[in-house]
Amino acid sequence: MIGDIIGFIGGLAVTLKSTWREPVTAEYPESDKRLNLEERYMGFPALTWDGDVEEPYCTGCMVCIRECPTQCMTAEMKDNPLYPEESRRRKIVDTFEINLGRCIICGICVDVCSFDAIEMSHEHELSKYERNGNRVDLQSLISMGRSYQQKVGWEPKNPGKNRGTPQVEENSQSAINDAEVTDSRSGEPMEGDECPDL
Amino acid sequence: MSLSEVFIILAKAVILMLSVSLVVLVLTYAERKALARIQQRMGPTRVGFKGILQPVADSLKLITKEDILPTWADRGVYWLAPIAVFVPAFLMWVTIPVTRQIVVENLDLGLFYITAVSVLSVLGLLMAGWGSASKWAVMGGLRAAGQLISYEIPFIMAILGVAMLAQSLDLTEIVAQQHSVSFALVQPLGLFIFLTSALAELGRTPFDIHHAESEVIGGPFVEYSGAHWSIFFLAEYMNTFTIAVLTVLLFLGGWSWPTMPFEGFLHATLSLIWLLIKTSAVLWLIFWIRGTYPRLRIDQLMAFGWKLLVPLSFLNIVITAIVLFYGLPLWVLTCLSGILLVGAVCIIRLNSSSSMERDTVRLVSAKDVRSKAKFSPLETSGGAE
Amino acid sequence: MQIHETENETDGSIDLMINMGPQHPSTHGVFRLVIWVDGERIIKSEPHIGYLHRGSEKICESEHYSQIVTLFDRMDYVGNLNSELAFCLATEKIMDVCVPERAEYIRVILCELNRVASHMLFYGVYGLDAGAMTPILYAFREREKIQNLFESVTGARMMHNYIRIGGVKENLPRDFQQRLHEVLEHLKRGIEECDALISKNEMFLARTKGVGAISGADAIDFGVTGPALRASGVVEDIRVTDPYSIYDRFDFNIPVGTYGDCWDRFYVRVEEMRESVKIIEQAARDLPEGDISAAVRRIVRPPKGEVFVRTESPRGDLAVFLVSDGTDTPYRVKVRAPSFANLQALEQMLQGAYLADAVLILGSIDLIMGEVDR
Repeated sequence: MIGDIIGFIGGLAVTLKSTWREPVTAEYPESDKRLNLEERYMGFPALTWDGDVEEPYCTGCMVCIRECPTQCMTAEMKDNPLYPEESRRRKIVDTFEINLGRCIICGICVDVCSFDAIEMSHEHELSKYERNGNRVDLQSLISMGRSYQQKVGWEPKNPGKNRGTPQVEENSQSAINDAEVTDSRSGEPMEGDECPDL
Repeated sequence: MSLSEVFIILAKAVILMLSVSLVVLVLTYAERKALARIQQRMGPTRVGFKGILQPVADSLKLITKEDILPTWADRGVYWLAPIAVFVPAFLMWVTIPVTRQIVVENLDLGLFYITAVSVLSVLGLLMAGWGSASKWAVMGGLRAAGQLISYEIPFIMAILGVAMLAQSLDLTEIVAQQHSVSFALVQPLGLFIFLTSALAELGRTPFDIHHAESEVIGGPFVEYSGAHWSIFFLAEYMNTFTIAVLTVLLFLGGWSWPTMPFEGFLHATLSLIWLLIKTSAVLWLIFWIRGTYPRLRIDQLMAFGWKLLVPLSFLNIVITAIVLFYGLPLWVLTCLSGILLVGAVCIIRLNSSSSMERDTVRLVSAKDVRSKAKFSPLETSGGAE
Repeated sequence: MQIHETENETDGSIDLMINMGPQHPSTHGVFRLVIWVDGERIIKSEPHIGYLHRGSEKICESEHYSQIVTLFDRMDYVGNLNSELAFCLATEKIMDVCVPERAEYIRVILCELNRVASHMLFYGVYGLDAGAMTPILYAFREREKIQNLFESVTGARMMHNYIRIGGVKENLPRDFQQRLHEVLEHLKRGIEECDALISKNEMFLARTKGVGAISGADAIDFGVTGPALRASGVVEDIRVTDPYSIYDRFDFNIPVGTYGDCWDRFYVRVEEMRESVKIIEQAARDLPEGDISAAVRRIVRPPKGEVFVRTESPRGDLAVFLVSDGTDTPYRVKVRAPSFANLQALEQMLQGAYLADAVLILGSIDLIMGEVDR
């Protein structure tokens, strides 16, 4: 009221009021005092692990590598030694490297992946002392992915197609082998990205 | 002068130095915490319990930092400037009593000495600005000179009003005079002038023009780093504390407590605590203002000083003189002073409302704009041309 | 001490040339302003830009359409969603895609929230420019709520990559309506509090009133858009005068200033925050169910042609000119960045101002250097 008439007193009242409120800031490094991450939080990308057959979901199809706006990834594919007895995947990722210093966390790699093999994990604290110190290899990517899977109870979005266990082989073997790489959103066949040989 | 006298003087100086440094450390912590609370932050929490050792960590960091000397700096002036700022700030404490007994050397002309010494710090700021060989520093230094010298006048005038009331320049005597009623009640206008001009003297918000971060990037201190910068910092906080203590001594009754039952050591301790409580209240006010206000522009600052504070401070002296000369009761002075203070606030308020109306932004409904078929933005606008 | 001076021809006194920036704390990024001062008065000024040039427009020519959205995120890095929207609208227009209703509403809600967040940041930084240190923390307190909401929807706090060609990336989370409601309630209180903190302060008024005034006609000549143009008394808001998306369905007011000084530019934005809250409330009320994206292929190949789309970003008229040659990368993307155009009026506004005013005038344009230099 008096603050409306004499503005410089009104300002003092505002600051005095907020003096008695609880601080809104968090204390960062302690894990119990941090702000919570939202469920959809996008941290650095990580590779998911198929616990049923003990191998990564990734087949090394390179679609994420071609779609990455900053070209921060490289990968190589190999024949899967577990195929066909233990796994349905004919090919499996051999090496995978993401330079997380170049990654812009746009999530495009997750959108384009047809095998649910890459996910935006909740990992976000990866400071290193060296330039290019964040070149992360397959092992670390998978361990990042596994901790993320455990944390959020991750399930593949397309289990019928992407689970590696041979039990479901009977009904969807053909689907796997002739799998069309589809647009994850519209379900239409993708143009320009032919399916790599599986 | 015998050896023991020299020793006592030295001991006093060392004790004073240490206690003032301690006060500065506490003050930096207090300010950071106070500002943090105002802004709903936590402030320092890491070093020690609740971050209480943060000032120590800060000072250690500052001391171990590299002392940078700009290539074109005027070396002598550049290195001397921090000392020229620090020494007056320290010297003021020679005669400031914190209780009736605890004072380095009580001078009969204490107030005169304090005002005389406090002016000296302008020189240090100018030296720092000039010596740094940086354009921003020069601008800051010149701003400091203009600001500090202008506000020296109302500052001294306000002190003079108190001196007239107390009929003394001795600070202990002034406190003793306020035994029954503090001068803040007798001269609210004087308190207002004193605090405002003191804020300007300190260069604190809203008068932090000479080291404004967003304008002159730190003004005279822009090129300093490490230990030398910390001396400026020390002096600044020391001055803040000095001003707070002076406000308490001159206007808020100092340590005087109407019914102090104790004597001796206990009396001294309680008086000191009482003084410190009052001082912290004044300090909180200073921090509070810092957490709320934007800063003025240099020409507005000068206008405020010369057009408002200087005439007011003269009026303050005139009404004090009239009341004292005719032997009128003190409540007359209170009334006169209060009326003038309210008048001053009204002048500030009217000044701002006449020249600047706040509601220049009007709302145009989107519907109205859409309903106009052929729309030309300038036609519908009010004050575009 | 050596100071480089230039001789003033008129009275023989010496003007001091000062480099304000690119490392000056109040230039809002890497912007360099060379000013010649006579005491505290500014005689002449000369803005230098280009310190943050990343060649975004050129990079666009070698990226797929879906990848370009990430580049637009990084142009106006305070109003990301609005930038994304501008590019997606352009691509949709050239491809003639019809975006589902729900996606349109989601876009409007998020873009308006983004506008509030952007203006909040402006409010805080402007307080800092004026020398008050609390507004920035109040502003971030409010902005943080919006950022958290963004995080729960898009997964990111700033670089969302959420608005996609043909719709949006994901559906809203289940508790979105409730959280949005909480955020809006919080925002309304917050905006009032921010207003009370400095907008009524006489010192702040004295600092901003009549400073850096520019007339409506001049502003139009300079190509000033957005809040800075409206502050000069010109009723021009692309959401209303040239509506895109579904903005023609909402009822809100356009705040318009009178003198075009710093105060008007400041307060137009404060009022705009309130209006944005109104739009969000209406959009959240009408939010329909349905698809969130049109059937668009991931690698889009728009037909040959060119298209020009204007949108109202928090800083003004953000327009995208897109030329497609029928391949999966655009032939040319030209961004008409509002900050860049608004910056051109700076020299005019700085005429005869004080050095301290320069900071406030620069702040009142609300520059984002990422957008100016692109």
